[in-house]
Amino acid sequence: MRKWVARLVALGVALLVAGQGTTAALAQNPAAGKKIVRVGATQAMDSMNPFLAVRLVSTQIQRWMYGFLTVADSKTLQPSPDLAESWTTSEDGLTWTFKIRQAKWSDGQPITAEDAAWTFNKIMTDEAAKTANGPAVENFESVTASGQELTIKLKAPQASMLENPIPIMPKHVWESVTDMANYDAEKYPTVTSGPYIAIEHKKDQYVKLQANPNYWRGRPKIDELQVIFYANPQAAIASLKTGDIDLIGRLNPPEYEAVQNDPNIVAWNTQGRRAAYLQINHGATTTDDKPVGDGHPALKDPKVRQALHYAIDKDRLVAEVQNGLAQPADGSIVPPMYKEFFWEATGEEKVTYDPAKANQILDDAGYKKGPDGVRTMPDGKRKLEFRFSIHTETPIEDKLAEYLTGFFKEIGITLTTKKLESSKFTEETGVTGLFDIAISGWSVNPDPEEVMATHLCSRRPAPSGEGGGTESFYCDETFEKLYQDQLKELDRPKRIEILKQMQERLYTDAPVIAIYYNNDLEAYRKDRIASITPVPEDKGLLYGGSSYMPFFTVTVKDAAVSGPAGGGGSNTGLIAGIVGAVVVVGLAVLLLSRRRKSAADDRE
Amino acid sequence: MTAPLEAAEPAVQAAGPGDERPARRGTLQYALAKAGGALFSIAMVIVATFFVFRLLPGDPVRNLAQGRNMTPAQLDLERHRLGLDKPLINQFFDFVGNTLRLDLGTSYEYKRPVLDLIGERFGPTLLLAGTGLVIAVSLGIWQGTRAGWRHGGRFDRFSTGTSLVLWSVPTFWLGLLLMMVFGVGVGPIPGVLPFRGIESVDAPDGFAYLLDVASHMVLPCLTLVAVIYAQYLLVMRSSLLEEVSQDYVTVARAKGLRDDEVRRRHAVPNALLPTVTLVFMRIGFVVGGAVTVETIYTWPGLGQLFYEAISVPDFTLMQGTFMLITVAVIIMNTLADVVYRVLDPRVRSA
Amino acid sequence: MTSVATTRRRQALGRFWTDFRRHRAGAVGLTVLIVAVLLAVTAPLFIDENVTSVVDAPGEEWSGPSLAFPFGTDESGRSILLMVWWGSRTSLLIGFLAALVSIVIGMVVGIAAGHFRGWLSAVLMRITDWFLVLPSLVTALVLAAILGGSTFTIIMAIGITTWPSTARLIRAQTLAVEARPYIERSKALGAGHWHITSRHVLPNVAPLLLASTTLEVASAIVTESTLAFLGVSSNKTSWGTMLRGSYDYGAATQGAWWYILIPGLAILAVVMAFTLVGRALEAVLNPRLRKAS
Repeated sequence: MRKWVARLVALGVALLVAGQGTTAALAQNPAAGKKIVRVGATQAMDSMNPFLAVRLVSTQIQRWMYGFLTVADSKTLQPSPDLAESWTTSEDGLTWTFKIRQAKWSDGQPITAEDAAWTFNKIMTDEAAKTANGPAVENFESVTASGQELTIKLKAPQASMLENPIPIMPKHVWESVTDMANYDAEKYPTVTSGPYIAIEHKKDQYVKLQANPNYWRGRPKIDELQVIFYANPQAAIASLKTGDIDLIGRLNPPEYEAVQNDPNIVAWNTQGRRAAYLQINHGATTTDDKPVGDGHPALKDPKVRQALHYAIDKDRLVAEVQNGLAQPADGSIVPPMYKEFFWEATGEEKVTYDPAKANQILDDAGYKKGPDGVRTMPDGKRKLEFRFSIHTETPIEDKLAEYLTGFFKEIGITLTTKKLESSKFTEETGVTGLFDIAISGWSVNPDPEEVMATHLCSRRPAPSGEGGGTESFYCDETFEKLYQDQLKELDRPKRIEILKQMQERLYTDAPVIAIYYNNDLEAYRKDRIASITPVPEDKGLLYGGSSYMPFFTVTVKDAAVSGPAGGGGSNTGLIAGIVGAVVVVGLAVLLLSRRRKSAADDRE
Repeated sequence: MTAPLEAAEPAVQAAGPGDERPARRGTLQYALAKAGGALFSIAMVIVATFFVFRLLPGDPVRNLAQGRNMTPAQLDLERHRLGLDKPLINQFFDFVGNTLRLDLGTSYEYKRPVLDLIGERFGPTLLLAGTGLVIAVSLGIWQGTRAGWRHGGRFDRFSTGTSLVLWSVPTFWLGLLLMMVFGVGVGPIPGVLPFRGIESVDAPDGFAYLLDVASHMVLPCLTLVAVIYAQYLLVMRSSLLEEVSQDYVTVARAKGLRDDEVRRRHAVPNALLPTVTLVFMRIGFVVGGAVTVETIYTWPGLGQLFYEAISVPDFTLMQGTFMLITVAVIIMNTLADVVYRVLDPRVRSA
Repeated sequence: MTSVATTRRRQALGRFWTDFRRHRAGAVGLTVLIVAVLLAVTAPLFIDENVTSVVDAPGEEWSGPSLAFPFGTDESGRSILLMVWWGSRTSLLIGFLAALVSIVIGMVVGIAAGHFRGWLSAVLMRITDWFLVLPSLVTALVLAAILGGSTFTIIMAIGITTWPSTARLIRAQTLAVEARPYIERSKALGAGHWHITSRHVLPNVAPLLLASTTLEVASAIVTESTLAFLGVSSNKTSWGTMLRGSYDYGAATQGAWWYILIPGLAILAVVMAFTLVGRALEAVLNPRLRKAS
C-alpha cells in the first residue's frame, strides 16, 4: 500500500516537473520561433469547400488561400491583376479574354487557364456548386481555355465582370470530386495559389494557414496565420486583452469601446462598407405588378416619405444609437468608403433634419392633425400610424426604434415597433410585404452593382410568392434604365456617373432612406503586430475586405517572436502541470483514505 | 439550473420502476418490456419532431434560404429536393424512413449531413459532460453522505446552503463570472485558466497534450459540476436520512458496530440507489447544462452545435440534434431502470 | 357536515402554519418572497415602462454605483436599480404563469391517472413518462425557437416541458388518498368521479401542489433567464434579458460589474427564496421527511 502512495507521489512530482517542462517545451513547440498572427473570429467556418461556403469568415479565409481573376487595388479599389495578368474585351462587350499569370500552385503544378475554365464550368453545370457563387456565373454563355488564355462569352454585356467573386480552384485536385454537395474539402495541406495554405482545421476551434513559399508575389512575411473561433464574443474580446489573439475584426460599438482604452491595443475606427437604411413599403408589388402585403397607403405618397426623411435627426442617431461610431448618411446606399462610387446629396436636394419643414410638407399635402396630434389621410379615413419592423435580440435596433418613434411623433406620425425573429423578418419585409417601415442594411462590395440590383423590378417576389431578394419592392422605370445602361457601359468614369444617378434616384424617390454608414471597427495588439496595411490604404479595412493584401503584408514584432508561444499560451504548461498534480494528489489522498479504511476493516 | 428541484426528491420514488413494479417477473422479461417502452418513446419522439417542426411559420424552404437571393427555379428545386412538394402523409413516411436509416438530412448552414456534424462533436461533449457528471456525482454522494449522517451539523448546513445557492444560479451567469474571474482575472486574482475551446491552438504533442486539454477543461467542468451536483447531494442526503431512521441501522448500532462502519456498510449502499437512478434520470438535465457551458467556453461539442442551430437558425440541424439528444436520454433512462432492477436488493429478493 | 370539515381544515391550516414557522430558512424565504412580490405588484405606483426607455435614460453610460444610481447604470445610462425593479414584473409573471401552466397540466393528468384505472391511466402515465425523459431545457429551446419569442411562447415552452414531475407526484398522492376508507364510503353513497376528485382528492393533494408550485416558479425564473441568454426571450425587460444585455454590450470587458451582478443576484435571491419556501413546505407536508428530520 505504501508503495502505491509513494509511486503516486513520485508521479505527482514528475507531473509537476513535466508541467514546468512543458512550459519550456512550449518555447520550442511548433509555435515558438515562428512569426504567427492569430486572428479571432466570432463565427466558425461553415465549410472548407469554396463552392459551398457562404459565411464571411470562410470567404475571408478563401481570399487568403486562393487567387481570383482580379483583386481590388490597394489604393483605388479598382479591379487590378491577380491571377489574370491582363484582359481584353470585344467591341460588343460580350467576349472577355483573360491572360492567366505564369505561376505555380502550392504543390508545384503550373496554373493554367484550364483551372479557371474548370472552376467556372463546374459552377455553371453543377447545381450543388452554385451554392456559394451561383449568381456570379448566371450571365456566362461559355468559358473556354487554351494554354494561359481564358475566354469568357457572356449572354449580355456586364461591366462588373471584373469583380468576379469566384476563387480559381486547381483542376488537377478538384476534378475528381463527384458529389460536390457533400464534399467537405478537409484535405491538408490544401493546394492553393494565394499567399497562404491551410494546414489544419479543427471544427469550431481554429484554422491554421501556412505561408505559401511558391506564392507569385513572394512569401508572406509571417510564417503562420491562425484564425481562432469564438462562440462567445465576450471571450474573444477578453482574449484580445490577455493576448491570446492578436487581431479581431468586425467589432460592434460596445465591443470596440471595451478595448478602446487598452494601452496595448490599437482600436481601429475607419469608415466601413456597410450602409444602414430604412426600407419603406411604398406599395409593395409582385413581378406581375399586383399589390402584395398590407403597407400603409400614406407611404405610397413620395411627400410622406420625404417628410419622414426630414424628420430624422441622423446626427443624433449616430451619436446616441451608434455611440458616434458611424457617419450620418447624406447619400444613398453606397457608403463613402467607396470614394469613386459614393454619391452625396448637395444643394436643394439635400435633406437635413428639419421637423418644421417635414410638418409643412405634410400640412401642404393635406394630412391634417387630429385632436390627439396624430395626422390622418387627406380623406380623413386612416390615421398615420406606421409599424416599424425590427429584429428580435438586437439592442441597437431597439434603440433606433425608440428614437424614430420620438422623431415621428414630432410630425404627428405614430410609430409602433414590431419585433420579428429573422426568418419571419425576411419573409415579411422581402416577400409578403407585411410591413410599413423596416430596418435594413447592406455590406457593399467594391462594385455597387450587386446592391443596386436589389432594387430592380425583377427582384420583387413572383406572383406565386417566391422570392427574388428585393430590398425595397422598388420598381421604377428610370432606375431600371440606368441599371441596364451601366451594365453596357464599359468606360469606367461614365459608368460611375450612371451609378451615381441611380443613387440619386433612390435618395429623392425614397423607397429606402439611408440613415448612417456604420464604421469599420477592429482592434489589434500593438505589442504583437508591427505593421498592417488596410485596403484601401487610406482608412480602409483590415479584416473582412475583398483583398488579401492586409494579411499578406502584415508583419509582427521581433520581440513577440522570441517569447514563448505568446500571451496565454505561456501559462498553459504551468496550468497543465498544476492540474495534473492536483489530479494525482487527489488520487493519492483517495487511496490513502481507502487504505485507512481497509485497515479499519482488517481490524474488525 | 432548470428542472424543478422538487422533482429530484419525489422522483426518488417516481424514478425507479416505482409503484407498479412487477414483483415476480424475471429480470430479462422486465428488461425486454422496458426496451419495448423505450422503442415506443423513441417512435413518439420521431413523430412529435416531424409535427413540431412543421409548425414553423412560413415556408420551410424560404426559412432555409435565409433571405439569400434564390430564383424561383432554385427554390422549386430545393423544395423538390426536400420532398416538400409531396402530400404531408408522404412527407411523413419519408421522414420516418430517412430517420430510421439514420439519414437526418443535410445542414443548410454547414452543407454537410447532420449525422456527420453530430458525430464530429460527440466526443468533446462526452468528455466534458462525462467528466462533469462523474465529478458531480462523486462529490454529491460524498458530501451528501457526510451531511446526512451528521444531520443538522455545521457541515450539513454548509453543504445544503452551498448547494441551494448553486442550484438557484443561472448556469450561464456562473459560467461568465468564472470566466471573468479565473480566465481573465479580476483585481489580485490572475486570470490563468484558458477559457476557449478544448485545446491550445499550438497544442503540444503526447502527454503534454493531455495536460493541455485537462487545463482547458477546468473552467467548463467547474461550471457544469457547480450547477448539477446540488441535486445529487440533496437526494443522497435525504435518502440517507431515511435510512438512518430504519430499524436495521439501529440494530447495527446496537450490535456495537462503529459509526462509520454502520454508515459505510449499511446505510450508504441502501441510500445510494435513488441517487444512482437519479444520475441516469437526469442525463437530459446535464445535456441542458452542456448547451450553455459549451457556448460560453467555445467547447466544440453538441451543445455548441445546437446553439448554432438555434441562432442561425438551421432547422434541419436543430431537428437532428434534438432527436439525437432526446433518443440518447431515453436510452440512458431505460438503462437506469434495468440497472436499478438488477441492483436493488429489495426488488431482486421479492 | 361542511362546517365540520371547514373547522377541521382551519385547524389543520393553523397546525401547518405553526410547523412552517419552525423552519427558519423557509420563513426567511417567505419574507423575501412577499417583499419581492409586493415590490413587483406595486411598481407601477412609483415607476413605469419609461425606466426601460433608452431615449429618456437619465444617467451617464456605464456609471458605477452612486447616490443617484445605487446600482449604477447600463450601456444607455438607464438605472439598473429601476430596471431590476421593473424587470421583476416580467420575471415573476413568467415564473408564476409558467408554473401555473405546468401545475394545471400536472394536476389534471396526475389526478386523472390516479383516479381512473385501466387504459386511460396507462396512456396518461405513458405520456407523462415520455415527457419526463425529454431534456427540458433543450425541448423548451426548440419550442420557443419555432414558435418565436414572446411572453406567451416562453411561458408555454417552460410549462409544457416541466409538468410531468408534478403529474407523477400528484398521481402517487391521489392513489394514496383514494385508498382511504372514506372514499370507499363516498363511492358507496353514489358519489361520481367529479365529486370524489374535486371534494376529496383535490383538497388532499392541494398542499403538495403548493409546495410543488413554489419550486416550479423558482425553476421557471431560472429557465427564463437561460432561454434569454441562448437567444429566445420575451422581448421585455426581465432579469434574463438584462443579463443578456450585459453580455451583448460587453459589461464584463467594460468593467461594469454592477450590470452583471445585480440582475444575477436578484435571480439568485428570489429563486433561493422560492426554493427555501418550497423545501420547508415539503418538509412540513411530507410526513416521510418530517419523520426523518
